[in-house]
Amino acid sequence: MRAEIVQVTPLSLGQDGDGVPAERVLPGAGMLPVLPALRDLLPGGGLRRGSVVATGRWGLLCLALAAGASAAGAWCAVTGLPQLGVVAAADAGLDPGRLLLIAEPGNSWPQVVASLLDGCEIVLLCPPDRPSAQVRRKLEAAIRRYEGVLVVAGDWEGAQTRLLVARQEWTGMGAGHGRLRARKVQVVADGRGAWSRPRARWLWLPGPDGSVTAVAEGVAGGVPAAAADGTDGSDWARGTGEAGVSWRGANAG
Amino acid sequence: MRAARSAAQGVPRSAPRRVLVVCCPDWPAAAQDQSGRPGARAFEQVISAVEEFCPRVEVIRPGICAIGARGPARYFGGEAELARKITEAVTGRGFGCQVGIADGLFAARLAALAGLPVVVVAPGGTAAFLAPYPVITLESPELDDLLPALGITTLGEFAALPAAEVANRFGTRGARAHRLARGHDPRPLVPRPPRADLSVQIEFDPPAEQSEPVVFAAKMLAAKMHSRLADGGLACVRVQVQAVCEDGREITRLWRHDGLLSALAVAERVRWQLDGWRTGQGDQAGQAGQAGQGSQGRETGDGIRAGGITLLRLTPDQLVRAGGRQLGLWGDAVPSDRVARAALRVQAMLGHGAVQCPVVAGGRSPADQVLLVPFSDTGTPLLPADRPWPGRIPAPAPATVYPAPVPARVTDDSGAVVTVTGRAQASALPARLWLWLPPDVGGGRSGGGRSGGGRSGGGWSGGGWSDGGRSGGGRSLAVISWAGPWPVTERWWDLASSRRQARFQLVTEDGSAWLAVVQDGHWLIEASYD
Repeated sequence: MRAEIVQVTPLSLGQDGDGVPAERVLPGAGMLPVLPALRDLLPGGGLRRGSVVATGRWGLLCLALAAGASAAGAWCAVTGLPQLGVVAAADAGLDPGRLLLIAEPGNSWPQVVASLLDGCEIVLLCPPDRPSAQVRRKLEAAIRRYEGVLVVAGDWEGAQTRLLVARQEWTGMGAGHGRLRARKVQVVADGRGAWSRPRARWLWLPGPDGSVTAVAEGVAGGVPAAAADGTDGSDWARGTGEAGVSWRGANAG
Repeated sequence: MRAARSAAQGVPRSAPRRVLVVCCPDWPAAAQDQSGRPGARAFEQVISAVEEFCPRVEVIRPGICAIGARGPARYFGGEAELARKITEAVTGRGFGCQVGIADGLFAARLAALAGLPVVVVAPGGTAAFLAPYPVITLESPELDDLLPALGITTLGEFAALPAAEVANRFGTRGARAHRLARGHDPRPLVPRPPRADLSVQIEFDPPAEQSEPVVFAAKMLAAKMHSRLADGGLACVRVQVQAVCEDGREITRLWRHDGLLSALAVAERVRWQLDGWRTGQGDQAGQAGQAGQGSQGRETGDGIRAGGITLLRLTPDQLVRAGGRQLGLWGDAVPSDRVARAALRVQAMLGHGAVQCPVVAGGRSPADQVLLVPFSDTGTPLLPADRPWPGRIPAPAPATVYPAPVPARVTDDSGAVVTVTGRAQASALPARLWLWLPPDVGGGRSGGGRSGGGRSGGGWSGGGWSDGGRSGGGRSLAVISWAGPWPVTERWWDLASSRRQARFQLVTEDGSAWLAVVQDGHWLIEASYD
């Protein structure tokens, strides 16, 4: 069943040492790779096949969770989220070419999710209604059978892992000047068993270019604005200059 | 382009085309016998007789068809000889026949209707041939009365008028009629290659109650359809599966084919279609049963409700030449069979358009920057992504792009709505953001709180803003930082789609970041960065 992944990235078979480690994780190790920034937060350093990850609410964190596996060749289906920002998903690392969007799964969403799990490694779900315990058990059985991963943008009672955005702080913008550049978030993970002790990490979610990275230790506690501004402030100024747009807003007064 | 091409090939652009028209003079009578459609169908026999001489036939209406005469005439030994042979072939099938050959369709048609078996108007003699005809043959209602009133009764007299004067006096239609009268055709012949009926069907008697026999028959039908297509060197882009039930209902759905599906794969799609339909029927039956009307619903074990299938038809749609398909060597995200199967199953459940693949497009607003195409279709964005889009929203991109912008209001400290002046200045400092998230948007949007506000335990506590959005009225958040306005004037040349907006980025007290747009004094939230 895992053979398709190998076909998607045929070169990964030949590469032994220098390839992305994630690609070796993909076929059959029981784990789907995640972005490096998220490895510390997840038991085993990846998404365990057959498990459910709940994220509390819809947000960029859901996309970031799926990004690592998508970049490594997995297909990702997104269900019940018509508001998904595809550009943000692509910036976070998801491959739009391996994305299936089912905006309105309707009342039969459990069947839709089960069908999707048959084909896609990751299904990102925002349940239109609260599933009954029976529906949940059936879906969990399907997830285990197809060895997929369900990322729930919401709560899921039997979830093996939960990731929540505990704190967030946008940088780059003042009262009438600047623009949004990056968001520093504190993601708290907890789960069952050995992972039941919550652990927290600071992430750039998104970073200045839309990617998701870990906040360097030095700035973890302090105000990170300087780091973000330094990276691409000139970029933006140059971009507007080229475009001949003269509305850069210094009109706070 | 056509003119340029023919000029490049050494054909003078103005060379009139020789056209041969075959006319069955007694056709209206024959059509009346059999009332309309059968008459049109009988004309197929005439067309097939003419196709023996030239495969590209333009049917003008039942009873009259036309071919280009130049090639066949050279092959069959001259125009008169060609006309004689066609007459023989058509009369041999039991139809009356008259043939006319002339420069252009209009003259050839008149020649065919002249009452003689064969009329050949010599090249260049078209104007002289047309001259004695009355102006009514132009079939132009405006000119029918006007020209005789001006003393012009024949096409020759009309053609003698200066073209510029005719255009001045009678306008475009008059100029067109004048061209006809002078022997110039207003349009080239548009012959079509023969279209065979490639659909295949099977009837079930007694009606098939179960899916299995239908799927089995579908496999056989698909094999037949594929062999017919292959005979013609064709492939179909899509295949239409149509199933008719005993009670007259039809289930019709188009499936992507691209010449890639095996007979088994087509049969599998038939099964999904029937299964998906059955699921929908099951739901309806349940509702009807609750209402006490589900008397005729009888669910069979594996198959079809309410009567069974009486007819299954497969029709190839959008025929193209079978040229094989070249995939990228690598780098293309080719859906594996497993993914395609899952996606097609969901399409069978929810409809073809329900499963979408995103294509990154260009544009300024976040909603423009993606094009959603149904799975297995191909779409090319109208707005290419690789162009500079001055004024586009800078990175990072918002993670939440509302399908319909959310009504909002931004006020200053005193509660007055912030506006943007013509010089792109905000009228006041934004202090509060009021949001009107509709209940379904708020509930479906975030995991937090979709069925009851009281439930806010552990995992749901991250919800925050949507809990308030669900409360019905607007919800207000203090703005702690903001940037803008960034005015955008798009498509000002097009009244229907022109937009004049100013965008703001706002960060509110709960740490959320918003992309707001003000247009015509109304505030909308286009996207959220969370």
